[in-house]
Amino acid sequence: MPVRMWRQPLDIEKVKRPKAEIHIIKNQCKGCGFCIQFCPQNVLEESEEINERGFHPPRVIDENRCVLCSFCTSVCPDFAIYTVEKACKDGC
Amino acid sequence: MVGKEESESAKDGEEVRIGVYVCHCGLNIAGSVDCEEVARFAETLPQVALAKDNQYMCSDQGQELIKNDIREHKLNRVVVASCSPRLHEPTFRKACEEAGLNKYLFEMANIREQCSWVHLHDRKAATEKAKDLVKMAVAKAALLRPAEEIEVPVIRKALVIGGGVAGIQAALDLADTGYKVYLIEKEPSIGGRMAQIDKTFPTMDCSICILAPKMSDLGHHPNIELFTNSEVVDVKGHIGNFHVKVLKKPRYVADDCTACGECAKVCPVTAPNEFDVGLATRHAIYTPFAQAVPSAYMIDMDLCLNKENIIVCDKCLEACERQAINFEMKPENVELEVGTITVATGADVFDPSSLPNYGYGKYPNVITSLEFERLINAGGPSGGRLIRPSDMQTPKRVAFIQCVGSRSDKSGRLYCSNVCCMNTIKDSLLIREHWPETEIYVFYVDIRAYGKGFEDLYKRARKEGVIFIRGLPAQIIEDRKTHDLWLIGENTLQKDLYKANADMVILSIGLEPRRDSETVQRLLTLSRTQDGFFMEAHPKLRPVDAATGGIFFAGCAEGPKDIKDSVTQASAAAARAGILMAKGKVTVEAITPLFDPEKCTACGLCTKVCPYNAITLDKKSKRVEIVEAACGGCGTCAAECPFGALTQKHFTDEQILAEIDAVTEEDAEEKIVAFCCNWCAYAGADFAGVSRMQYPPNVRIIRTMCSGRVAPKFVERAFARGAATVLVAGCYPGDCHYIDANHHTQKRVEKLWKKMERHGLNKERLQLLWASAAEGERFASKIREMQTLVEKVKPEEILAAKKVFEKALGEV
Repeated sequence: MPVRMWRQPLDIEKVKRPKAEIHIIKNQCKGCGFCIQFCPQNVLEESEEINERGFHPPRVIDENRCVLCSFCTSVCPDFAIYTVEKACKDGC
Repeated sequence: MVGKEESESAKDGEEVRIGVYVCHCGLNIAGSVDCEEVARFAETLPQVALAKDNQYMCSDQGQELIKNDIREHKLNRVVVASCSPRLHEPTFRKACEEAGLNKYLFEMANIREQCSWVHLHDRKAATEKAKDLVKMAVAKAALLRPAEEIEVPVIRKALVIGGGVAGIQAALDLADTGYKVYLIEKEPSIGGRMAQIDKTFPTMDCSICILAPKMSDLGHHPNIELFTNSEVVDVKGHIGNFHVKVLKKPRYVADDCTACGECAKVCPVTAPNEFDVGLATRHAIYTPFAQAVPSAYMIDMDLCLNKENIIVCDKCLEACERQAINFEMKPENVELEVGTITVATGADVFDPSSLPNYGYGKYPNVITSLEFERLINAGGPSGGRLIRPSDMQTPKRVAFIQCVGSRSDKSGRLYCSNVCCMNTIKDSLLIREHWPETEIYVFYVDIRAYGKGFEDLYKRARKEGVIFIRGLPAQIIEDRKTHDLWLIGENTLQKDLYKANADMVILSIGLEPRRDSETVQRLLTLSRTQDGFFMEAHPKLRPVDAATGGIFFAGCAEGPKDIKDSVTQASAAAARAGILMAKGKVTVEAITPLFDPEKCTACGLCTKVCPYNAITLDKKSKRVEIVEAACGGCGTCAAECPFGALTQKHFTDEQILAEIDAVTEEDAEEKIVAFCCNWCAYAGADFAGVSRMQYPPNVRIIRTMCSGRVAPKFVERAFARGAATVLVAGCYPGDCHYIDANHHTQKRVEKLWKKMERHGLNKERLQLLWASAAEGERFASKIREMQTLVEKVKPEEILAAKKVFEKALGEV
């Protein structure tokens, strides 16, 4: 059905989407970039920051994009990243 | 020429006796052609035993006349000068057969579509042309040979493409008759547009409530195999024997799915749902709507986080109790053998964002009629509450604008979309029913309430206070703060300007040909009208048949229609397909090649041009093998053979040359000799006649099945006999009814142009035209253009051409 869809869906507010908290343990990171490369939602990017080990740890672009698939945790060889579902306040 | 005929008939040991019948067709022909004079003229032609004129040759009485004469006067050839052979050739062929005459001994002269109707105001010229056309037909008839048709079995299985209401009805009817049916649907569920609509006019039935039982019947029918999320990618073969390749895209959810919906609840990604025209969301794993058939979920892999071989997210996998989800599924190629194909591919809707004055896509409260259907539907995104998108409040003043994308030069769609007037009236009454306080305005051009019960509904709407204003708004302006809208335009009944205020505007959008129509057209070698919808074999008498045998149309694919008409046409298409399959066999027209092994040098040129690979060459034994059942009958092999070893039955070299000779016998230097292919150019010339487009009377059309049949020697012969100009006309490249046979037409014409240039001839005297069956005007204007050319050709140029192509006179 090739109708151009340009509107924001009317029920967008009602759709439950998990809210994520992304935790990066910067000093544990060795800058391999797996989490950045494999994130399906492109939530992460390399930062300019240099950690204790002399690497660039990742940085969150937009936390709202994260859907908590936790693939970053799975691929990280250094256990340096994990996600937690945000406790739902004010009826989200 | 006469000597030749004698030798032909000597072979059979019988004298050629031709009966010529000139039809008046009421005043359709007799109005501008002196039929009696044409008949008197025909009587003077060689080998004509008798010539008569008659009011209506196609009537029972006319046909009886032919039959009696065949018996009484021992006629062994019959020529009827009347309408197009595309219309009544089968009628007269049948009459001949009933009198014991082989049907291939019948020939037709088209003096209606290609003579009387296109020269309405020049009785003298039209009569002269009719005489010439009869002379051509008689010349060909003298050389006709009896032929037997081979019978091919029809596979008793049917294919239906498209699972909207038309496809569903056609599939159910065919399956109930007892045939195996394959239904191919591109979307994840059948249902089509009707499933999206809230209520139907004029009875106000709930659309999905009457459709869902049919969908479910189809899903459970033992004779129907349903392929959703699938596309036809290749079609080979011919009437009764189609070989179809279907690409079945993976759903990533196995048939075990119970549609419990647990998977969608946990799916973390969302997108606008196409079924709700983007007004609601869906997940990556989804079912388009509650009543979908098959009732199963599927995964949209473009949206899903998982990519090939990488499982990033397994939430749905864990949620599915039946373990129906399988990310490893691969696309499947399915091959089907079917006897008939029903095309029910439906229509698209017009995208109004191309009309900047209405602000669709910019103003949130300007919506389309399709969006309105989803908004007012109880299963839709607002739960059936009428709201406007900007603030989710119920609007107090609503305006409908008609003919958005229909009947308009601006949008390029000149036709009426058929359903929008009644749809708006229905929608206005729905609003009135549930929110009686709402003010409703309808801005229209004309209200077309032509069907059963339509006028009553229109009256009811007016009685209930819906205000109809004639004159479409020129522009819509939005109040940026409130998002309210102002409509500015002219009331053409009162001849004053209006500026009307509305909370929400509904654009009544038209229907348009599906954007993938071209693909379907190529796959099945169909024709389309100028509007872009598929073209039927005859607009009145064969409205559901395609020109290509074994293919039928149902629903909006053929033109905009409402649900009732779609269902009616679908049942008709099923009946037409059923007739073919019930017979179980079909005869193949005896227009296959005739092969003379003595002349063949085994050069293999014919095998290279055959679009069907029906000719093979055994290099060792130097023998050419022809598979008649695979032959499509274009005759391009006969045109290609440089040694005259191949010719086409019923369109032999002798027959076509005899026609050319007849045309050029008198006043050749004033004439246009036109070779037209049966499917596009000849049909286009017929269409010019049906539409009464007038063009110069000095063109003489010689019909071949394909322009690929036109051998260079035919063109050369015409010039050698002094013709002023020659036209070769066929289908557009890519639209050829014989796959790509007309590519060779182009090559041959280009070669001839080079030859003409080399010899200092004006190559413009040979013209090549691509014209579709719907392009009568294109054909007519080509003839007008060539007429000016004819006037410019000097006698010495005619002589020069005669000399250059002298050799062609020796042919046959």
